[in-house]
Order: sequence, then C-alpha cells, then structure tokens
Amino acid sequence: MLKICAECAETNDIGDRVVGLGDGEKLVEEPTLNEAYIVIGGPQGSGLETSAQVLTVIFASHGYGVIANREYHSNIIGRHSYVAMTVNSVKTPRYFNYPFHVAAFMDAESVFVHYGDVVEDSILVYDKGLDNVNIDSVISMRSDTKERLLHEYREQGIDPTVKGVTKYLASSKGVQVVGLDYKNTLSILREKFSVPPALARRYVSSIIVGAVVGSFGIASEDIIREGFKYRFRGREKVVESNTYIASLVAKEVMSQVKTYKLQEGRAIDEFSFVVSGNDAVAIGKVVGGVRFQSYYPITPAQDESFYLEDHMRMTTSRGDLGGIIVFQTEDEIAAIGAALGAALTGTRAATATSGPGFDLMVESISWAYEAEVPVVITLYQRGGPSTGMPTRGSQEDLFAALFSGHGTTPRIVLASGDHEEAFYDAIKAQNLADKYQLPVIHLLDKFVANAIVTLQPPDLNSVVIERGKIITSYDKPEPYKRFSLSDGPISEFAPLGVKNAISWYTGLEHNEYGLVSEDPETRMKMVEKRVSKFLLADKEIPEEGERAVLLPEGIDVSDVELLMVGWGSVKGVAVEATERLRGQGIKAAYLHIRYFAPFPTRYVSTVISNVRKAGGLVVDVEHNELGQAAKVIEMNTGIVVDKFILKYTGRPIYLNELIEAAKKIMKEKISKVVLKYGA
Amino acid sequence: MARKPEDYRTDLWVDWCPGCGNFGILTALSQAFAELGLEPEKTVVVAGIGCSGKIWQYFRVNGVHVLHGRPIPFATGIKLANPELTVIAIGGDGDLLGIGAGHFVALGRRNVDITVIMHNNQVYGLTKGQASPTLPYGVKTKALPAPNIQDMINPIALAIASGYTFVARAYAMDTRGLKEVVKKAIEHKGAAFVDVLQPCVTYNDIYTVQFYRKALYKLEEDPSWDPVVKSPEEDIEKKTQAFIKSHEWGSRIPIGIFYVNPLKPTYEERLKERIPTYLEMPPAKQKIAVDGGRPILTVKDLVEVFGDRVVYRRKKVN
Repeated sequence: MLKICAECAETNDIGDRVVGLGDGEKLVEEPTLNEAYIVIGGPQGSGLETSAQVLTVIFASHGYGVIANREYHSNIIGRHSYVAMTVNSVKTPRYFNYPFHVAAFMDAESVFVHYGDVVEDSILVYDKGLDNVNIDSVISMRSDTKERLLHEYREQGIDPTVKGVTKYLASSKGVQVVGLDYKNTLSILREKFSVPPALARRYVSSIIVGAVVGSFGIASEDIIREGFKYRFRGREKVVESNTYIASLVAKEVMSQVKTYKLQEGRAIDEFSFVVSGNDAVAIGKVVGGVRFQSYYPITPAQDESFYLEDHMRMTTSRGDLGGIIVFQTEDEIAAIGAALGAALTGTRAATATSGPGFDLMVESISWAYEAEVPVVITLYQRGGPSTGMPTRGSQEDLFAALFSGHGTTPRIVLASGDHEEAFYDAIKAQNLADKYQLPVIHLLDKFVANAIVTLQPPDLNSVVIERGKIITSYDKPEPYKRFSLSDGPISEFAPLGVKNAISWYTGLEHNEYGLVSEDPETRMKMVEKRVSKFLLADKEIPEEGERAVLLPEGIDVSDVELLMVGWGSVKGVAVEATERLRGQGIKAAYLHIRYFAPFPTRYVSTVISNVRKAGGLVVDVEHNELGQAAKVIEMNTGIVVDKFILKYTGRPIYLNELIEAAKKIMKEKISKVVLKYGA
Repeated sequence: MARKPEDYRTDLWVDWCPGCGNFGILTALSQAFAELGLEPEKTVVVAGIGCSGKIWQYFRVNGVHVLHGRPIPFATGIKLANPELTVIAIGGDGDLLGIGAGHFVALGRRNVDITVIMHNNQVYGLTKGQASPTLPYGVKTKALPAPNIQDMINPIALAIASGYTFVARAYAMDTRGLKEVVKKAIEHKGAAFVDVLQPCVTYNDIYTVQFYRKALYKLEEDPSWDPVVKSPEEDIEKKTQAFIKSHEWGSRIPIGIFYVNPLKPTYEERLKERIPTYLEMPPAKQKIAVDGGRPILTVKDLVEVFGDRVVYRRKKVN
C-alpha cells in the first residue's frame, strides 16, 4: 500500500546520498532519494496554498520532514505565487534547493517564470490548454520581468509561448514534460461528483497535488486522502472529489514519466506540528505565559496574532486553562501602548509587527526602557526601506532593532534561525524581559515566519518560566519603591493592583518611588541602574552555545578553512551548506549569532580570531546589502569581517547558490558575492 | 475607615501656574475618589504629556505617566489585563484630540470601562501657548502670532459619534459640579468622556474665568433634559439631542451630562462571550507556571489546544 516507498525497505544507507549537487545542473540519479525539491506555482487566490498544505500533510503523515516556503506578491488574487518545498526522509530540512525534481504549475506565468528551475530528468507538469499563450498576453506579469525573460528566451532561441518554452525544456534540456488538459480533467467532476463547471476551477489545486505525488510514484487514494482530510476537515464530499482528481492525475503522470522514489520517511515518529514560523512563535508565547497580545495587521507578522486570536480560549480535557486576550488596535502605537499597559499589571504581554509598524513603536520602546517595563516585541523583518517589499524577506532591520529609540536604551535583541528556535525564543524573550525588566526585541525574518515546516513536539521539560523579581504581595512598613536602589540594579516589581504597593511610572527621569526628579545625582544613579541591568544580562547569559553557536558541534576552531557567520534564517541553509562542503573535503563551519544585544563579544572574537590565526577565511552571510551583522560584530569586537555573501532580492538563499558562492569566494579572493536565485 | 480627599494626594508641590484651572480638576478628582471610596492600590491614573500630564504624581493612587497622546492605549491595556482596576485616563486637548485622536475614537468603538478626563484649555500650555485642536477658527489667543487658521474639533460630538456611552462636559472652577460628573463617569460601565473646560491663566486670554462665568449654563437646569438611553430604540434620538446641544458654543455653553447609554455591552463583556472565564481569570490573574517554573501547558495540552496543526504519522504497514 505504501507506494510512497516501494523500494526502500532494504535501503539503510542514507548518509551520503546527495541530490542535485554532483555536477551542477544535473539531478544525480539514485535508486531512491533521501531528499527532493519541489516547486508549485500559480496565481494568488487559486488554491496554491491548499496544494502546499495538502502535500505537506501527505508527506508529514508518512514520516517525512518538510519545509515549504511561499513566495507571493502583496496581492490577494491574480499575481504569481509559488511554493518551494524540500522533503527529506530522515530530518526536517531547513533550506531550499534547485534544480527541482518536480515542478507543477497552474498557469502560463509559472511556466514562463520558472523555466530555469528544472533540468534534465526533472518532471514538469503544466496545463496543455495554455500551449498557445504568449508571454505578451500575461497581464499579471510586470513589464520588467517580461523584458528580462524575453531577452533570455531570445538568447536561447525559445519561442515565447507556453508551448515554445515546454518544447525547449523537453528537447534541449531533457526535462520530462507532462502536458495535461486541466479543463478536460476537471470536466470529470461534473459527471462523477456533479460539481458545477463554475466551481471546477477550485480543483486545480488537486491537479497540482496529484502531479506532485504522481511524480514520486504515489497514486493511492488512501495516501492522498490524508492530506485533503486535514485541509477540508469534516467536509467528506469535498475530500472525496479532490482525492479522486489528485489520484487520477497522479496515475496519468506516472504513466508518462520515469518517477522518483523517496526513501521511507523516518523523520517523524508519532506526530509533528505542521506550522509556520508565525505559528511557532504564537504557540511558544502561549506556553511561555503570554496572556495579552496586541497587534495591528501587517505582513508578515499578522498571521501570528490571527492564529492566537483563533485560540484565545484554552480548554482541554483537564479543564479550562485560561485564555489569552488578543487585542487588535487602531495602529502600532496603540499596540505597543496596550502591551505596556498590560505588562504593568504583571501580565506577560507582547506585540508582533514588522518594519513599518516597528518604527511607529519606537517612541514607546524608549519609554519602556525608562520605566523598566518588561515587554516583548516580535519583529518580523520584510523587505525595506519604507513599504519596500511587504511580502518578501530580508534581514534589514537589525540596526533598527538595536539602535532605534532616543536616549540611552540598551535592550535585549535575539534572533531566531528556524522554527524550533522561534518557539523556544518566544518563551525565552518573556523570561529575559521579566528578569531584566526591559523591552526585548525578538527578531525573525519572513523566510522563517511564512515557511511551513514539520516541527517535532517540543521538550517542555527543558522550559522554565522565570519571572525575575516580580512580587504578588507587599507588606513592608515603608512605602513601596518601584525603582528601589537597595538591592542591585533590578528592583522588586509589584504589579498594579498589589495591596500596599502604590507605584508610579513615568517616562521622565525619576527617583526610587517613580516620582519625577532632575537631581543630578539621582539622575546618575538611575542611568547607571538601567545600564547595569543590561550589563548584568551580559554577565549572566552564557555566550557560547546560547548567544552564539558554532556548527557543526564539537569542531576544532583551529581547523576551519571557511567560517560562515550569519543569523536568522541563514542558519538552515548555512548549516546544510557547511555539511555538504565538508562532504566535499572543505573544512567549513557556521557561526550562528543568536543575540545581538547583549552581544557575545568574547566568544565571537575568540572564534573569528582563532579561525583566522589558523589561516581560515571568515565570510559574513546575510540578507541585506550592507552586512549589518558584520558591522555589529565590528562595533562590539573591533574585528572587521570583510568577506560577504549577500542576498537582497527578497527571496531566500538557496543551498546550491550558497555552496557555489562559498567556493568562489575561497578560490577567487574576491570580497563579495551577491546571490540572486529564485523567481 | 473612610478616606478623605487629602488621603488621595501626595505631598508634592503642585507646580502649575497660580490660578490654573488644573487645581480645580485635581481637587474635584480627589474628592470624587474619596466619595466613591476607591482603593488607591486598585486605582490607576494614566496621564499624557503637557500641563495636564503632571497630575498623576499629585495623587496617592497608582500613576502611569505615558507618552504624548497615548494615555488611552496604555489605560486600555491595563484595564483589559486586570479589569478589577479602576482606570482613569487623563490628557489635554492636544493630547487626546490632536496627537492621540485616533486612540480617542477607537476607545469609543470598544466601550472599554475607562474614564477619560480631558483638560480643555484650547492651547498647548507647556510649549507656551500654541493653538490646540479645540480652539475655534479665527480666535487669537495671546501667544498666537495670528488668529487660529484651523477649525476646532467639537469634543462632545466626536465622543458621541465615536461610541462613548457616557459623554459630559464640566467646568474646572465648578469643583462640586465637576466632582459629581466625574463620580458618575467613573461609576458608569463603559467608556466615559468628560470634557473639562479649564481656563489657562497664562496663555488663553479669550476663554477666561470671566468669559465662562457669563457663558456657562447647566443642562440639568432644564427639567425636561434627559440624557439617558432607556431602550435601544431611544438611542438615536438621545444621541441627536446631545449632538445638537454640543454645537452650542459661543455666548451660551452648556455643561452637564449630554448622553448616557448603559445598554451597550462593554468590551470586557464582549470578551467574556469569547472567553467565559475572562472576568474571574483575567490575564493578570492567570497562573502561567507550576512546580517552580514549569509551564502550565503540557505537550498533551498543546496537542489539544493547537490540534489544528497536529499531523500524526500513519501507522506503518509492517
């Protein structure tokens, strides 16, 4: 029954089966794959997300680790979107790669845009009914994209029609092209399930599902149904009709191509959470005790709050565990204001936003620092400056996270590299805010936020809720001093409402009671109090392994030829690139920076210096054009990192382009490689 | 033991200009707190920036002095996280209707049980007398280089249009009248707004004590004036009569209660519909950890609460 792994029963040797790397542009032939790359494309609003979700669930329920990243425009209906997926039989992958084993497209634009993503032996499924569509007539494409592609087509002698492009791929590139007539396929729905023709277009998403699973030799309705059951919970008729179409298409594809075989899925044991980065943070916040989240809708942050809003009430079989108030405000200024207000009551409070919204919150961050209020701002980076590219990724807001806000306001800034980190960091951020009574900025980038992965169930035994010096009663004879200087830089925090503990908060300089003071010596003491908290955090939070991580674990720093330094979503692709480079005999390593404030100065200095001392090359890898992290390293350590691999197209760094860039920068003694793969 | 107004006061020197209308507001609020018997620890005054924004430190109740224009968002966060607190947001006309106007409107939409007190002196006092959003067009107060080029906002009309369920105007120098209005505003369940006419002795030489003494009259002097909505059908009628009254601004200016609607559900009540335990277990009172720091939620709980994200591994065939 499990055709998904027809021939893998005897295969245990999976360690070095590398796909898509051997000779650059050719998918290496293996009896079975341990990893596959898939791209599906279509106009927004046409069910592409449904296809991606169904496929993810089909793979996840058979034990595969999956990551799926959706690339889309700031648009609801009509513009081109696509999902790149990586499926792995033994682990949850955290990177995307090309060329793709399988490409399945809904529309003509996808064929035009993604023609370069497939190579010899790739399987490409498209709608034959679109054969005569000329690129000129695709109104959803912007002129600069069209012109760029037309130029490429001319150079390669490709006729700019769907037929021309697919013919070229089949004859010149050795791609296994499958043209299906989608309209004919869907007409079966009317006869068999009496679906009216007007609704039939909705089933294109199941054609895509069928095309992909068929490419891996799967056509069993039993397996396919699993995905649609998850997507269309309780709507049996819809599940059946979609399953039928997908299976039909899968069989057709199987009859036309040499399919790929995946090894048996062993990445997941009992179950996994299939979550986006937004979801992972949301769930982490709930576990970490956030009970008040305020927000103003903004891409790509809103899904976190929206998901929480759908789970405000926490009722389980062992009873009512309370609820989280999710408060949609009139703007981001109100969002941070409300979160700060809630925090003053002792509630764990947070807000989530992205660049433009964060800018509006900045004045309040300065206030929170002055008034010593624990609050967490989850900052999802997208392409800037200004409105920039709202739906595309970047790592451009590091400086903003670190330096925004007037006055001296050292805050804690941590950045998550993947979904696991995002989950645990969401909890950690709350602990840090409470312990040091200051704002904490939790940075994520869109590539983590909007990518959907299979996430292993968390280990909650390792999670501790640390609330610092919060007190729930106060019975000393003397009046309560919210900003007492008598016990180190961190004072006891009696939330609003605690008996006998009247407190005053102000953004003005203040005395121990929180009442306004401009006395020079009080001023000095209070400035020093606040800065000392930050210095204490720097002393208390371990550097090695916590604020920065050197991967692969346990390597000898003096035996590294290439050290890539990065942060955020770079982690997934850099770790894999490191492993594969090591497989090719290049002693690579990746230094993952997790905290930018307090910065792991000593550890990062030591690692970089030791690598250099032994003759190794240090390269900064980031999603911005300035090398912001490198500048922060320089600011803190005095060490200048002057080799860069950068990408700022708004698309994620793909594995092969990073590997190639790393080799190039080692070989050619150049200082910078700019990456640009991806439609 | 009953508290006296002075029990609600700190001993700080009050540094407003001598004769400032703010003294009357401070006095009236302290009296209102005492007469309502508010517990200082359960009372929070949230204030903005400007002369009015100094008032928080003169009360011996919790004080939160926030950013210019932002008392309402902070107050809302405090109230929603711990609804048992009495929350009073205080701001000037520039604070609430200039830089913070968006928040002012939003509170009306939500009807959170907060009292908003606006010190309305038609000028930006602490920056030396610029025109505020409540100064009429063409009026030249003494610090202005030329008559005001912008129109005024009608605060009462805006509050009604925004959805406040208690809308009143009072006069800072009539501390008794102000106190009574403030008491009713605090006791009202829902978003309450009190527009307090407050002479600025230093920068406003138009809207002076002498001016107000002649112009002001009390709505309640008319025995037929009834601002309270008693059934949903009455709402538009009551709003309309209040709206019309609110346009009296000139030689005759009404003070008193313009509009009260006790029937509209508060935001807290609306939340309770989503989370039935909200009022007994609001965010500030929820236990989030057990046994010295373990999260209250287990993996099993996560699977139940976030079941829509759980995908089970199919049983292997062999």
